[in-house]
Amino acid sequence: MLCALAAIPILIAVAVRVSSAVPAGRGPAFLDRIAQNGLFVGVTAMVVSVPLFLPLTVGVVAGDTIAGEAGQGTLRYLLVAPAGRIRLLIVKYAGAAVFVIVAPLVVALTGAGIGAALFPVGPVTLLSGDTIGTGEAMVRLLLIAAYLAVSLLGLSAIGLFISTLTDVPVGAMAATVVLSVVAQVLDALPQLEWLHPWLFSHYWLDFGDLLRQPVSWDSFAANALLQGGYVAVFGALAYGRFITKDVLS
Amino acid sequence: MTRTWLRWLPAAAVPAVIAAGALAGSLPASAGDPLPPKTPEQVLQLIAQHREPALSGTLEQSSALGLPELPKTGAGSAPSGTAWLELLTGPHTARVYRDGPDNARVQVMDRLAERNAIRHGNDVWFYNSKDNTAAHAQLPADDAGDTGRHSAGSDVTATPDQLAAMLLAKIEPGTDVAVGADVQVAGRPAYNLVLTPKSDATLVGSIAVAVDGQTGLPLGVEIKARGQSDPAFRVAYTSLTLGAPDASVFTFTPPPGATVEEIPVKEHKHGNDAGNATAPAAKDRAGKPAVTGSGWDSVVEFPAGTAGPASDATALLEQATVPVQGGRLLSTALVNVLVLDDGRVVAGSVPPERLQAAAAQK
Repeated sequence: MLCALAAIPILIAVAVRVSSAVPAGRGPAFLDRIAQNGLFVGVTAMVVSVPLFLPLTVGVVAGDTIAGEAGQGTLRYLLVAPAGRIRLLIVKYAGAAVFVIVAPLVVALTGAGIGAALFPVGPVTLLSGDTIGTGEAMVRLLLIAAYLAVSLLGLSAIGLFISTLTDVPVGAMAATVVLSVVAQVLDALPQLEWLHPWLFSHYWLDFGDLLRQPVSWDSFAANALLQGGYVAVFGALAYGRFITKDVLS
Repeated sequence: MTRTWLRWLPAAAVPAVIAAGALAGSLPASAGDPLPPKTPEQVLQLIAQHREPALSGTLEQSSALGLPELPKTGAGSAPSGTAWLELLTGPHTARVYRDGPDNARVQVMDRLAERNAIRHGNDVWFYNSKDNTAAHAQLPADDAGDTGRHSAGSDVTATPDQLAAMLLAKIEPGTDVAVGADVQVAGRPAYNLVLTPKSDATLVGSIAVAVDGQTGLPLGVEIKARGQSDPAFRVAYTSLTLGAPDASVFTFTPPPGATVEEIPVKEHKHGNDAGNATAPAAKDRAGKPAVTGSGWDSVVEFPAGTAGPASDATALLEQATVPVQGGRLLSTALVNVLVLDDGRVVAGSVPPERLQAAAAQK
């Protein structure tokens, strides 16, 4: 799955390389900057992958945590070991969290790498119109990857909870991915404005705040708080469900 | 059985804790240090005596004008022709930096994009990250103070003190001016200057200006339409730091690869290509509008065509207006605009019937 994610920036870079110049202001954000600066491949790839690809892979990993073991019939044996269910749950979530951290990093670094290989690399223009050096641009790129990792922690907690509900891993994966899409659709409707700050996908695309000068940390903090809330709620739900569950397989 | 329920306890407790936290956070913070009472005149003086301060802050603007809202598409960018309409419908956040009369910067923060207006000395820059375009104007040295102040703020989102100055200039016998209960804006206690039109014919219910109790800096403006409980238009600081911001904020050099356009100096209304020519600017260009009535319920009439909207916005305008007798009506909570079939435009903060009556007089 990490390879599939890594393919996104490569596809973007190659497509821009072989096609003619992208008119400014068209297509996904930052696409028109790639030809001038390869580092933007990483940013563009993250913009493209946030709505679907990243939630998709996170949904697969998080949905597989408990239900996958149950589906293969190995959950029983895991619980025979005197480690306890709480510990198993925590270890499983930690595994999903590691994937959540690595996935945006892969997109960002592959993007920066392929961009540097195919396009010139130089000072990066921020949204505010200021330019920063390549080193600082890499720091910003890593910050965005960290932002996305935080953004996806809530979704992976939801996936973990759904995974404890069923023995069919595919069902848990699909439900998690569908939830992420539903949340984004709800977030796009102005009529549901009261609901928006509570949707786990609300701040997903606000990582652009890290590309301003000076950096606006408000959305980072708000996002971290929101995702922390989701992790707490669905972590507690998963705990309640998994501790009381009759494990038959 | 009790053990089972005990294990679900965290799942019930965590949402309860979060709900309690959210509720506590949303309660209005009571003013810890009530301001000494002041008459409206004293508050006006407080505003008048405040000097151009050094500050950095975040402004939030929201409007409920009754215009149709467009769903926000994720990472895509709106066509620039509809950008000005979008400024009127959705909420917006902008960061404002200011240091004396000669340095100012406004950043309108859109999702994955940003519009900038920067003034440094006599140089004024506009930058739009969506299409990577910059525009530059060199102000003449003499009237620099006035124009710079004007262009830095009102081009994109007006800062509260500019809006307040504009509104307070309109105070006239037709308006009740009072000081309401103190409010908290951006964590600072503020006087709440409330202007209520005496006339029943206007759509404006009341205008409230929050004035900082310490410095006299207007912190927020709230316009309510008659019969609406939520403000139809609101702009206010959500955070404010007094003191000079870092000087590097005001320096701007166009980034490599950007399209730079030089604006001739004599043009005061800088046509930033985000299409920020909002309604008042359009009215200015229309030559001499004829005004009937006075005060709050005055009606402005001007020929269309000169103030005609950009072609790609016309379709949107068609959708926003409804056909009425003799033309099409654009109805919002605060302003009604009647586009007559004979090419005239009649606008005013009055009910549509009054507009039609004013149009029939000619």
